[in-house]
Amino acid sequence: MDQELKQSFPVDWVEDNYVSRREFFKFLTLASGGLAAGSVGMAVFSSINRGRISFEPAMIANVSDVPVGGSLQFSYPRPQDLCVLIQPKAGEYVAYSRRCTHLSCPVEYQPEHERLYCPCHNGAFSLTDGQVLQGPPPRPLPKVLLEVRGAEIYALGVSHQEVKEG
Amino acid sequence: MKSVEEARHEQRSATFIGLLLFNLMLVLIQIWLCFGVVENLVDGKPAMAVPAAIGSLVCFGVNVWMYFGVVRLEKERL
Repeated sequence: MDQELKQSFPVDWVEDNYVSRREFFKFLTLASGGLAAGSVGMAVFSSINRGRISFEPAMIANVSDVPVGGSLQFSYPRPQDLCVLIQPKAGEYVAYSRRCTHLSCPVEYQPEHERLYCPCHNGAFSLTDGQVLQGPPPRPLPKVLLEVRGAEIYALGVSHQEVKEG
Repeated sequence: MKSVEEARHEQRSATFIGLLLFNLMLVLIQIWLCFGVVENLVDGKPAMAVPAAIGSLVCFGVNVWMYFGVVRLEKERL
């Protein structure tokens, strides 16, 4: 019986699981094709014109919504563009994008340090002008331009700031 | 003393290993390029994507060319 089985199925288990060099070469070439396709896909994605963002004035909060030293999250100009509105001193409002300029982690307001902090890579931004205080972020946070109209706070646009020298 | 056939076999084997290592190196370069593009895209800098895609395609082309070379090498042996 055993002899018969060996004649019918001459390949043993070791050989059955053996990956030849040629198969490995083929696998690497296929992986290379997959990576090339992925890179081309990303290039196409980055080249597609995704349209300009329009900055229409938008009411983002009431004055009473943000206490002194407190913050409020909002989206501007698109729903996926998260921002944070802060009132560091009475009657003084600042707002920044929450997207860290390093790798887009959401920054959080730290009132005790008077800064915006990115927990992903220990980056920090100034509350007064959004400039980088520490960590790997290469650029300041985009600043949301605000206007207080009576009891309402409006966002008017987003300013992409340059790095301050020195 | 080795026979001509044995020497040829060893030569083919060495060529195969060399090509395999080169293939592996190109795949590693492609992975590096891919991660570089992703990091730059996330950072809002798409300028690197097209040159990296061209580089990756070139690597793939070389790999395909080497693969067909290996297939031919094995056919010659048989």
